[in-house]
Amino acid sequence: MIPPAETIDYHAQSPEVSERFTKLKERPVVLSVDDLTKVFPSRNGDVTALKSVDFEVYRREFMCVIGPSGCGKSTLIRILAGLETETSGAVLLDGNPVAGPGPDRGMVFQSYTLFPWLTVKQNVMFGPKMAGHKEAGVEADARQWIELVGLSQFENSYPHQLSGGMKQRVAIARALANRPRILLMDEPFGALDAQTRAQMQSYLLQIWRNLDITILFITHDLDEAIYLADRILVLKANPGEVDEILEVPVPRPRNLDQFIEPEFIATKHHINQLIHPESERHQDNLPFPRMTPLGDDVE
Amino acid sequence: MSGLGKDAREPWFAVRRELSPKRATVLTVISFALPLLIWSAVSYLPFLWHPDVQLQLSAHRKDVATVYVAGDRVSKGFFPEFQSAVRKQNEELKEQLASEDPLDGASESSVRRANKKVLRHLAPLLIKNRWLKDDQNTDDEAIYHAWGEIASGENTLKRPALSEENIAIVQENWKAMSAIAPNYDSDLFISVPLFSLVPQGKASNPDYLPAPDRVLMTGVKIFNIPAEGGRPSMIQRVGHSLQIVFGGFLLAALVGVPIGVVCGTYPFFSRLIEPFTDFFRYMPAPTFSTLLVAIFLANDAPKIALVFIGTFFQLVLVVSNTTRRLDMPLLEAAQTLGASQRQLLAKVVVPGILPSLYDDLRILLGWAWTWLVIAELVGVKSGLTEFIETQGRFRNFDLVFPVIILIGLIGFFTDQILSLVKGLVFPYTDDGPKASSHPIVKTVLFIPRLIKRLISKSQPDAA
Ligand SMILES: Nc1ncnc2c1ncn2[C@@H]1O[C@H](COP(=O)(O)OP(=O)(O)OP(=O)(O)O)[C@@H](O)[C@H]1O
Ligand SMILES: [Mg+2]
Repeated sequence: MIPPAETIDYHAQSPEVSERFTKLKERPVVLSVDDLTKVFPSRNGDVTALKSVDFEVYRREFMCVIGPSGCGKSTLIRILAGLETETSGAVLLDGNPVAGPGPDRGMVFQSYTLFPWLTVKQNVMFGPKMAGHKEAGVEADARQWIELVGLSQFENSYPHQLSGGMKQRVAIARALANRPRILLMDEPFGALDAQTRAQMQSYLLQIWRNLDITILFITHDLDEAIYLADRILVLKANPGEVDEILEVPVPRPRNLDQFIEPEFIATKHHINQLIHPESERHQDNLPFPRMTPLGDDVE
Repeated sequence: MSGLGKDAREPWFAVRRELSPKRATVLTVISFALPLLIWSAVSYLPFLWHPDVQLQLSAHRKDVATVYVAGDRVSKGFFPEFQSAVRKQNEELKEQLASEDPLDGASESSVRRANKKVLRHLAPLLIKNRWLKDDQNTDDEAIYHAWGEIASGENTLKRPALSEENIAIVQENWKAMSAIAPNYDSDLFISVPLFSLVPQGKASNPDYLPAPDRVLMTGVKIFNIPAEGGRPSMIQRVGHSLQIVFGGFLLAALVGVPIGVVCGTYPFFSRLIEPFTDFFRYMPAPTFSTLLVAIFLANDAPKIALVFIGTFFQLVLVVSNTTRRLDMPLLEAAQTLGASQRQLLAKVVVPGILPSLYDDLRILLGWAWTWLVIAELVGVKSGLTEFIETQGRFRNFDLVFPVIILIGLIGFFTDQILSLVKGLVFPYTDDGPKASSHPIVKTVLFIPRLIKRLISKSQPDAA
């Protein structure tokens, strides 16, 4: 990454982008996280995974959370999903505090969590059936979701017959079939190869654009975050605190060519500085002695 | 074929490298053929082991209490001693006959009784040679007639043959016997002592290792004996044994699986139930046998209870462990999809563990089998074990072996079938594709699959 970008400020937004953000912030708040703290008690001292995390997500916003490994990203999203309880603070969905997991918050995990004993269609029907909806309607609905993620041919296949990317597409369809208010995604494409991952990102943007859905997406991949997000929440490690919430100045609709646009690079450079400051880079150098003859240098 | 050539280049030994199906089959066949081959070699090659001599013809020794009859086994070391003792006895008899008192003070009737024994000592050999029928070993008239035939050389024993030495003894004895009566007559039977036949035998293995052909033959024989009186037929015994094993096992599974699943799902029940179960399983089930008889009285109930006790506690722990091993993310995913606590148990935990549960039960069924023998000894002995016990006590090991092997075969094939069925019941597991392409399954499912294909062809809109 070559940063002539320092000359460009990532704060600078074109008029269209700035107008988009103005409109976005006029939308109602779907998810509101209020002074959230999470402490894991352990034998050798308590671990503060999250400290005073505060942010809001607007309706139909695509928000990414990024941060170094172990900064508490998963802990945050698990609290939002209701799989973990906060130590203090509050999580409000449409203004109501959340208690425990529920179908109003869909979740897609990094690991494959399709039910292996159910076919693709049955997996997608799982949530609505739990809610007690009628089988016939649920099935027709599930077919539509599967079609939406482009897997109609595979509706009667079992998960073990699908590739990793296909599994995650089914997982997305399964979460969406519940008509959640917000889709929580914890590094859902982390296990995929680069090509599949790019394809999945494009699918996800298409789905997001056409549905009334808000997305909170965790990643540790800067490109992925900038490519997908309206706003990026950068978390700091030890303890996990909000470092900055930045507005991505890259205009929509997004495409892969934007990866070399100045605002993209400037944003990336800035986040990189936040997560991995220049002052800490000397730590990357290994205490490695020369083991080759003098003059036989490669760089 | 290119596939063949490729296979030939693959190494037979490579760490954790799967063998081709053909090679796997070959090795499976060898795994059974090898022990059978070793057993056959030890049985049929006399130089390999054969530490005993099986008597084909026995003799009575004067003043010795131990009596051997034809069919008995004596050690290789003892056999020549036995022979020379009889020869010496004959030498002494020769002197005695030449002396003043040929009866050596014995009464005529006692000599006659001893002579009848000598006469009959030839019977087993005659039966083996098919001169007599199996039940004619005390048919003195026929035996007497045979002695005559052998002495005159009119007919010779072939398989097994009579030794030269014994032919001479037969001739000598016959001379004396026929001089008194050419045909058998109980009252006119010779009252001058006869020479004893010298024992004959062939090298053999101990009775506890019968040869394969003998085991097979007795196996076929005992299965054809119909039930009579209080003695059940072998098929009935098998049925009875299966009833005990499966009765105990199914009962244990019926009660144990729900408890195990609940323990694996709710830490509350795990803490409440598992510690005691863990303790109880270390008490050997057989120690309860007398108690069980006291509680359940005779017949099958205490036996089934023993299999139950031997299986149940193990089963609860195994099942709860399997339940706990269910992927946590699956449970979390289900929760985020809106599954309630009860739905989690019914719609995720139970279907999620079914394949592993199936495997567990297969292993525990094997466990139940091992309790069979002890269970059938509880109270009134019954089933296959009663047969093994009784026959083993008489050292009829050639009757015991087929039954032991049969128990093994039933267990083995049950397990094989269950393993095949698994793939059919759980098509989404690794066993799924394997099962549907298995030759047995293909054969069994040929007709249903054909029908299915015809139906789907006749209504193309269904696809
Ligand atoms: N159940 C737990 N018990 C104790 N400590 C925990 C637990 N879960 C997480 N932690 C701690 O909380 C911190 C944050 O963990 P978390 O998994 O949220 O990080 P993350 O940002 O998702 O990391 P990664 O990028 O590697 O996924 C870590 O220091 C971790 O050790
Ligand atoms: Mg994580």
